Amino acid sequence: MIGRRLLPAAAALLCLLLIAASGPIVATGQLLAYQDGYVFFTTGDGFHVSPQVVIRNASGTGAPIVPGPRVYARATFDAAGTVTELDLSQTPLPAQGDLADVLKFAVALSPPLPNPDLVPQTPAPGESAKPTEHFSGKPVVVVFTVQVPPNTPFTSTIYMTTDASGWNPNAVIMDRVDALHFRIIERLNSGTIFRYLYDRGSLQQEEVAENGMQRTPRQIVVTDSDVRAVNDTVYAWADMLAGGSQSQAPQGLPTPYNPAPFPNLPNGQPHPGGRPSPAP
Amino acid sequence: MRRPILSAVLLPLLLALACTAARANTLLQLQADHISFYYDRFLLEADGHVRVQTSDGFTASGDAFSMDLKLNRFVLAGHVTLSTKSGRASGAAISDFLDFNRIYFVPITSEPDRWTFLNDDLAHPVKGRIMPGDVFFLPQLSGTPSITAKTATVGTRTFVRFGDADTYLAGVGIPLRSYVVNFSSNQYFAQNSLSGANFDLTWNFAGNDNSLSALHVRYDDMNYGPFLSFEQHLVGQHEYAVFSINPLTKQDKFANLQLYEQLGREFQIQTFTQFYTRNLIDPEAAAQTTYITANKAFPHSYLTAYSILTNYNLLGPSAYDTANGEYVGALNHPSQLQLTWTSFNNRIFNWPLYEQTYVSYGFNHDSVGVQYVNSLPNPPGLQSFPACYLNKTGTAYTCPGLYYNILNQIAGYTVSMEPLKFGNLNSAYDNYYLNASINAQRQWYQVPHHVNTTTTTASLSRQFTRQIGTYLAYQVANTNDLYETGGYPAYVPSTAPALQGNCVPDGKPPYYTYCDYGYAAFRGASTLRTLNLGINYIPSPEFNFTLLMRKHDDFPKPFAGGQVFGSPLTNPIGQPLTLNYLGQPPYDITPDVRFKVLPHMLLDISRTYYFNFANERWSHNFIVQVLPQ
Repeated sequence: MIGRRLLPAAAALLCLLLIAASGPIVATGQLLAYQDGYVFFTTGDGFHVSPQVVIRNASGTGAPIVPGPRVYARATFDAAGTVTELDLSQTPLPAQGDLADVLKFAVALSPPLPNPDLVPQTPAPGESAKPTEHFSGKPVVVVFTVQVPPNTPFTSTIYMTTDASGWNPNAVIMDRVDALHFRIIERLNSGTIFRYLYDRGSLQQEEVAENGMQRTPRQIVVTDSDVRAVNDTVYAWADMLAGGSQSQAPQGLPTPYNPAPFPNLPNGQPHPGGRPSPAP
Repeated sequence: MRRPILSAVLLPLLLALACTAARANTLLQLQADHISFYYDRFLLEADGHVRVQTSDGFTASGDAFSMDLKLNRFVLAGHVTLSTKSGRASGAAISDFLDFNRIYFVPITSEPDRWTFLNDDLAHPVKGRIMPGDVFFLPQLSGTPSITAKTATVGTRTFVRFGDADTYLAGVGIPLRSYVVNFSSNQYFAQNSLSGANFDLTWNFAGNDNSLSALHVRYDDMNYGPFLSFEQHLVGQHEYAVFSINPLTKQDKFANLQLYEQLGREFQIQTFTQFYTRNLIDPEAAAQTTYITANKAFPHSYLTAYSILTNYNLLGPSAYDTANGEYVGALNHPSQLQLTWTSFNNRIFNWPLYEQTYVSYGFNHDSVGVQYVNSLPNPPGLQSFPACYLNKTGTAYTCPGLYYNILNQIAGYTVSMEPLKFGNLNSAYDNYYLNASINAQRQWYQVPHHVNTTTTTASLSRQFTRQIGTYLAYQVANTNDLYETGGYPAYVPSTAPALQGNCVPDGKPPYYTYCDYGYAAFRGASTLRTLNLGINYIPSPEFNFTLLMRKHDDFPKPFAGGQVFGSPLTNPIGQPLTLNYLGQPPYDITPDVRFKVLPHMLLDISRTYYFNFANERWSHNFIVQVLPQ
């Protein structure tokens, strides 16, 4: 009976002894704020700072660094979770310890409440759970292959215009792989929402939808994978609608209607169907 | 008469644009001792006496600010004071996830706490709610910022307008005063109405959610040298307007207006109008042209109406009067309207073949009367057939057939095949793809002739390894310009001495030289055959090498020296603007290399070798393209 009563007390004593024996806890991280007797890390956690806190430049030399946002720190916690030392640096410090180990010392007035935003949504009855899309930010090789319309001039260069390059129509050159297909390999970070359209070097030569209307940008969301293949089809170009519409050419007046199919005949060659011009 | 019609077309578009309401994006007003913008990461950073005011209803001050413009969230940290309509609070940091309507705050009352404001309700924080782990993430910064400033206005997801801004070139600050970075996903902002130039430096000096004003410093070695241009963009969700004056600082000025409006999901109309003048005050020349394109979509086809309205001389008949009272400038104002129906790509039965059909009907008109060229009256109308000839007195031309109106019809179809894969189908690198397509078209004219064009293309391609792929393609382009009577006369070659060295003298007075007997037989039908061999070596997205070898076998044959067939017009990157032009050198080879020079910039360099055809080995210039990624 006496033994049963003494057991919890002995266990508590043992814990205290273990904590005391483990010495100070050290963890590195980036500071969010240093004010009002607390130091905050970018995890959002705030910790008491000892009035006698020692603040040093982590390099051991150099000018003193003022603790504040963006500064990297190696914090030393005493057994009660109070920060007693801060070694500061303008660049990331080698990882040491883990802030998760000192979370129990973080000060927060309100008890933690679960956040429904962070709970995966349960599927409705009768529906299966959607596959989890994970975005780690790692670079993913994305292979874009596009099939162009058969009336695309063989001398044309095909480009991709993207929101990442401010819709510059010459930003991404594609490589011809056969008579109708072009390809480009891009390295995009997972999580990227990539919007793009295909063009032939200018926005007047951009792709249009199958029904001839200007199309909304194509979009992919880059998910975590090693390689991703994207296959697209261009149905028509804005300047090459069937029937021979002419492209809009800034800074060039169109000639009067002239159906001459050979535009670079010699000067001395009278064209039988040309614009009425006197013979030389 | 035409101008009121034109105005009737343009004005509704302008009104639609003017009525476009600005989207209700959040606006952030940022002030700080030092604001930096990192273009490559779209990071907006601020330090020292930072003050943020948002259109969502709060003002906050603090020590440091960081905003990821692409993720659309910001953090304000260090000695934060938050002011809302319901009061003030102090804390360590605040973070606003604008897309999710969540504001996370670490207040310090008696002790630190964690508050979350939901859906812009700043009066009722949810206390203690667990926050996502990266809420207060601050990026590690390195390198020189692209822009520094004292103030910044952020229209979320669209633009940042900097005040007291500087940019940096080789580490040297260049004051800009006001500068706008537009990063909207709306591609209409990129529409431009400026012609190409060799060099363009753009200063976006004003802008917001729906507009962007830019001054361009440009250089064009062909025409104008260095000059300034102005461009104004107005952008909505389904419409845009772009206006420009280019060059602003030269005698010749081109004012361009480009309009686009999408009405519903099945109809759109766009216009491009250009007004040209030589001298704004007391102009020596002025002209105007307008293109109008309207498109109506149907379930399996679409209809396109395309029109060009041009006035070559807005100054009137007397504008170009010479000393003897003759005006020498063209007075034409031709009009063109073409209506085209186009089908979708339709599968032919269950075969691996697709077809597309189109038909078109056009009307063209120009009734302008006499004008003078080289002091002789120039015939009016659109075309003459048969050709005009000089009368016996040598004072005027006689034109047996003049066409003021020309109707034309087009019918065409395209057939293409699904890529046919053969070889080892279980291997990614041991098989071949066969592609082929044919396009045939006939165009009839009121002038008694028609033009047939047929283009046939086939290719065989193979990927040998992940890095190396090749293709072999063969294209035949037939063009036949057929006249019911008359037609193309025999070519009369030049007797100019400059041509003698490369031509065969015929030995008879007046000693013509036939540069190519094939061309002497040319009567309006050409056949251009091109064999292409392409090799791509792409070891990584950051490096790319391609080699294109071509053999042309054409009729009429090209003539070395280029005196017979003129060079086609090319765009700024050296590509011909004309399809199937005559006179291509029989062999050419083009290496092209592309590599990364900066984290977000590639350089592409290419040049063509012509195997000494007409004493030409390499093309005149390297084609160098800077490719921002």
